[in-house]
Amino acid sequence: MTDLTPITALGASAPRSQDFGAYTLRENSALALVSLAIARCATPPTPFGLTLPSAGCCTTHADYTAFWTSPDQWMITAENLGETDFAATVQNEVPDARLTEQTDGWVAFDITAETDGQIGAVLSRVANLPLIDLTPGKAVRTGFDHMSIFLVRRSERHVTVIVMRTLAVTLWHALETILQRLGDTK
Amino acid sequence: MTRIQGGLINRDKKLNFTFNGTSYQGFEGDTLASALLANGVQLVGRSFKYHRPRGIYTAGSEEPNALVELGTGARLEPNTRATVVELFEGLSAKSQNHMGSLERDLLAVNDLMSPFLAAGFYYKTFMWPRVFWEKVYEPIIRKAAGLGSLSMLPDPDSYDRGFLHPDLLVIGGGAAGLMAALTAARAGAEVVIADEDSRLGGRLLSEGGMIDDAPALDWVACVLDELSSMTNVKLMARTTVFGAYDHGIFGAVERVSEHLADGGGKVRQTYWRITAKQTILASGATERHIPFADNDRPGIMMAGAMRSYANRWAVTPQRDNKAPVAIFTNNDDGHRTAMTLVEKGVPVLGVVDARANASSFGEYETFANATVTGSHGRKGLSSIEVTRKGSAQWLECGALGVSGGWNPNVHLASHHRGRPVWNEDKLTFVPDNNAPKGMLIAGAARGNGSTREALADGVLIAKQALMALGITPVSAAVPVAGEEASAIEAFWHVPAKKRAWVDFQNDVTVKDIKLAHQENMRPVEHLKRWTTLGMATDQGKTSNVTALAVMAELSSQTIPETGTTIFRPPYTPVSMGVLGGGDTGANFRPHRLTPTDTFAKSQGAVFTEVGQWMRAQYFPQEGETHWRQSVDREALAVRSSVGICDVTTLGKIDVQGKDAGEFLHRVYANMMGTLKEGMVRYGLMLREDGKLYDDGTCARLGENHYVVTTTTANAGIVFQRMEFARQCLWPDLDVTLISTTDAWAQFAIAGPNSRKLLERVMDDMDISNEAFPFMACRATTVCGGLRARLFRISFSGELAFELAVPARYGNALMERLLNLGKDLNATPYGTEALGVLRIEKGHSTGNELTGQTTAAMIGLGKMVSAKKDSIGSIMSRREGLANETLRLVGFEPIDSNQPVVTGSHLINLGDPVDLEHDQGWITSAAYSPHVGSSIGLGYLQNGDQRMGEEIVAANPLEGQSVRVRVVSAHFVDPKGERLRD
Amino acid sequence: MLIPHPLLGLRDAQEFTYLGDANLLNRPDPTAPDAEAAFCDYVFLRDNPAGKHRELWFHEQGDRSWLVVTRDTLTHEISDVELATDVARRGK
Repeated sequence: MTDLTPITALGASAPRSQDFGAYTLRENSALALVSLAIARCATPPTPFGLTLPSAGCCTTHADYTAFWTSPDQWMITAENLGETDFAATVQNEVPDARLTEQTDGWVAFDITAETDGQIGAVLSRVANLPLIDLTPGKAVRTGFDHMSIFLVRRSERHVTVIVMRTLAVTLWHALETILQRLGDTK
Repeated sequence: MTRIQGGLINRDKKLNFTFNGTSYQGFEGDTLASALLANGVQLVGRSFKYHRPRGIYTAGSEEPNALVELGTGARLEPNTRATVVELFEGLSAKSQNHMGSLERDLLAVNDLMSPFLAAGFYYKTFMWPRVFWEKVYEPIIRKAAGLGSLSMLPDPDSYDRGFLHPDLLVIGGGAAGLMAALTAARAGAEVVIADEDSRLGGRLLSEGGMIDDAPALDWVACVLDELSSMTNVKLMARTTVFGAYDHGIFGAVERVSEHLADGGGKVRQTYWRITAKQTILASGATERHIPFADNDRPGIMMAGAMRSYANRWAVTPQRDNKAPVAIFTNNDDGHRTAMTLVEKGVPVLGVVDARANASSFGEYETFANATVTGSHGRKGLSSIEVTRKGSAQWLECGALGVSGGWNPNVHLASHHRGRPVWNEDKLTFVPDNNAPKGMLIAGAARGNGSTREALADGVLIAKQALMALGITPVSAAVPVAGEEASAIEAFWHVPAKKRAWVDFQNDVTVKDIKLAHQENMRPVEHLKRWTTLGMATDQGKTSNVTALAVMAELSSQTIPETGTTIFRPPYTPVSMGVLGGGDTGANFRPHRLTPTDTFAKSQGAVFTEVGQWMRAQYFPQEGETHWRQSVDREALAVRSSVGICDVTTLGKIDVQGKDAGEFLHRVYANMMGTLKEGMVRYGLMLREDGKLYDDGTCARLGENHYVVTTTTANAGIVFQRMEFARQCLWPDLDVTLISTTDAWAQFAIAGPNSRKLLERVMDDMDISNEAFPFMACRATTVCGGLRARLFRISFSGELAFELAVPARYGNALMERLLNLGKDLNATPYGTEALGVLRIEKGHSTGNELTGQTTAAMIGLGKMVSAKKDSIGSIMSRREGLANETLRLVGFEPIDSNQPVVTGSHLINLGDPVDLEHDQGWITSAAYSPHVGSSIGLGYLQNGDQRMGEEIVAANPLEGQSVRVRVVSAHFVDPKGERLRD
Repeated sequence: MLIPHPLLGLRDAQEFTYLGDANLLNRPDPTAPDAEAAFCDYVFLRDNPAGKHRELWFHEQGDRSWLVVTRDTLTHEISDVELATDVARRGK
């Protein structure tokens, strides 16, 4: 183990979390990410029992989630494995796939709501997309406030927003602004 | 006070407000206009050109006259229409466009000068003498131009934006819109219904009337209850859909908190971008007036507006509620206002009806075959002249309602240039079948304006929309309503010797249109520009059609022959703040922070913006008072010992796949296919036109695994073009591209002691020159097992390495290296020293790679392989590029105290400083602590053959002229021995 | 505008960047004797029709696919969209 002390994307020693009325915004610094790509027309592998999803979708199995990023490309995420060499772990699972370590390429912010239906209000301020494209099981990449983000809809009350790590402060501010306004009107 | 019984106001909630400093009271539910009328205030502003006294003319967003400055301080907003401003406690408004008080406007003198201020006045008057254009005329015109004043302070409000994607967007919440929304919603469609008004209901809020044997307002309440209980419906009051864009996209502004006293701590407005599969335009109609002599006096307004004020706001339009009210009309709807007023107990003088056979519908007098031919009253109406069969009589009158018929609000239907067509029965323009794709039109917006028609139309059109959506309608009865009388005869204006206003806002009269006609400015487009008709905040909502009719009469043409007017977005004015939406100041645009941002801030670094990146520019130390001191120190530390710079911002692209090597071979201009595993190579990328566009390194990490670096600025575009090559040019190559810029914190560790420092963090890797030579790369570990990538590359010309670790460890690694390197004077350096070092070494960056640069120009012509095809290789050999003789060289001043200035042009000694004698230019310059003087890089004709020559670097902009010597671009270690050490 | 992405459905044009004439897919043969002239045409000459136009769009804020979009430049009506890579492969 290295004796260097890591910091989060927001520059702190511990992940940030904040409540806004019915909403909670939480930095998930322990999420491990890796891109997985295959040759055109190759058969998609099934790492950790995950069925790699089709365009616009995500699949989850235990602590692992896969979401589609482009043709023949996916992102695999794992909870609580941020400190490990996740790319190497996945490579062991799928020796033939092309993997690129992405854990520190991105930062993941989880937005959770108290009741069904509240996430929709957030999404309609973040993404210029029909909500039908953002229902649980869907994952998209889109533009938000001049940033390129992934939205992974994990459940009715939970969406993960993923952005390039170096934009963490900007994205947090943008989401905080939205949630403050929505939280206030509860 | 002219308040009467009834209305949709809350008399339990009194609201205090001020107008021009005078305090008044109104009620919740009032607009500023209705509250002013209730307080007997008729005079609310001055007209734009002639500074004529003006009153409230309408009850909606079409208002041409009652423009006020709302709010104070930074929140002051000019040109706010009093007719749509909802009253709140403490509201403060001022009239505008007058010098001195509203009552005694000094600029009213313009009115006396009106013979000189006719149509085309500007074009005719400010022609000569020519020398007056800029010095005299422009300042005068600028001073007189514009309505209202700006606070000149930053906007203190915040704005929001959002996106909606309904199946159906219904624009307008009147009888047709509500019925359409209800029909669609009951069938299960996702419906958004938006209305600019503070409450939905449209004209039903302004009319009495019954629907399904109950008051129409009860029906509205019932429908709103049902709609708001449905999860598939979004009701949006105070929301103006201002523009129709391609493919069913609409822009809308919701006024979230403008109606609240302190904004309620909420955003002021929200910009909604609505993407709808189908749209129903149910925007209603706007009443038009009939111009007659002196028709612009306060107290004269639209007859329909009078009805709105009486029914919805319980106010009557006179200053004194005993003064009789008259109506001037050419249609039955004017009589409806008379009936309403009679019913409300307001004294009615009668209806002046231009039609020969007009008769009363109720207990009031009708002057048939008569017209209003004049008005009196200094600051408000006191009497009107009614002329019948040539005999005129003056009658006392406190207010006059004018009705010339109703114009459908076709605006959004014409935003894609669809022209409405003339309907001779209805005497109005109605939309043709050329509305934007997916848009259907219902109710008064297509001329079906009676309540009965509008309700039926709402159902009918909604069913059509549902069919297009593939949704089956649920059958339901159409509510029953009465059919209001609506007969109309063409009567467009009352001929007069005096001025009769057509466009109140721009002071355009019938005479101006006559003049335009005389001067052959007859097409509507010319008419508009010659007279300014239909311009400014109201865009001619109450005047365009009337003007067209007057022009038609003058040119003995029909109205459709004369032309049609169409509209552009926005429907009503939109604030810039809401379109900008969102953040201002430091949060105006995204900022990317480097992994060592925390460290750099703790060191008091000065930052610079590089694209979105915030990079440390230099790290001032105690005692340093000038940036040069810091930068010189940092650069010298690298040359003499070791420095560390965060270079994470360089783009990094992971390239993998069976054909990765072949792919890169085709993308880079130089040989890349021969790169061995564990090695790095400098690479040039060309555009297909043969010019250079980026340079960087390519490292081969594994058999089929490469990492490409790009310049910071071009990271995005290089990735995009590589994807183009992969997907579009060579789709059969098996290769994958992934951007991985942010994943790795990368540091340049540069200087003669860099190896010594680096050895202190390496776990077990041998980094001696033998084991890890120049241009080697390897995956390794540092600091007790942290995975890392090490590259032996140099930007500074010194022995140097680049070390990459997972980004979260970047900050700690920087601190660790500096701690371990204290004895070596390990120094963090910023972009400024980085620049100095690379100029000293003669490395090109964006200053040199201008998009016009060839590889030969930077001395790398031989790198462009002629043995293979790569992007740009064919075109790089074309005559024009191959013959390019500019070459990158270095420059030193002859007098070492003189600066070399970037942008200076190079001129041979003795030649004049002009374009003809231009020999090239300085691309980059810096003070070099290594050389001990200012130095520069630049392009010089045949520069590579002119070493030692003296030449002038001229900067005529600042009168500078410096003699410089042409030297090698490599000021440091020209043989490149240090970096191979 | 909305661009019907072949894999992701209707997406707002703001997610895309525009390159232009899809003829850029037809990179000339660099080994042909008249390669320089052919590249000159390829790089510099574009049709600019008032009407149907095949053009390249890059889904930059999305899946990074290049698309060939057939769009009427007069009406903005989009009549066909394909993944550029499919078009390019078919051309081979």
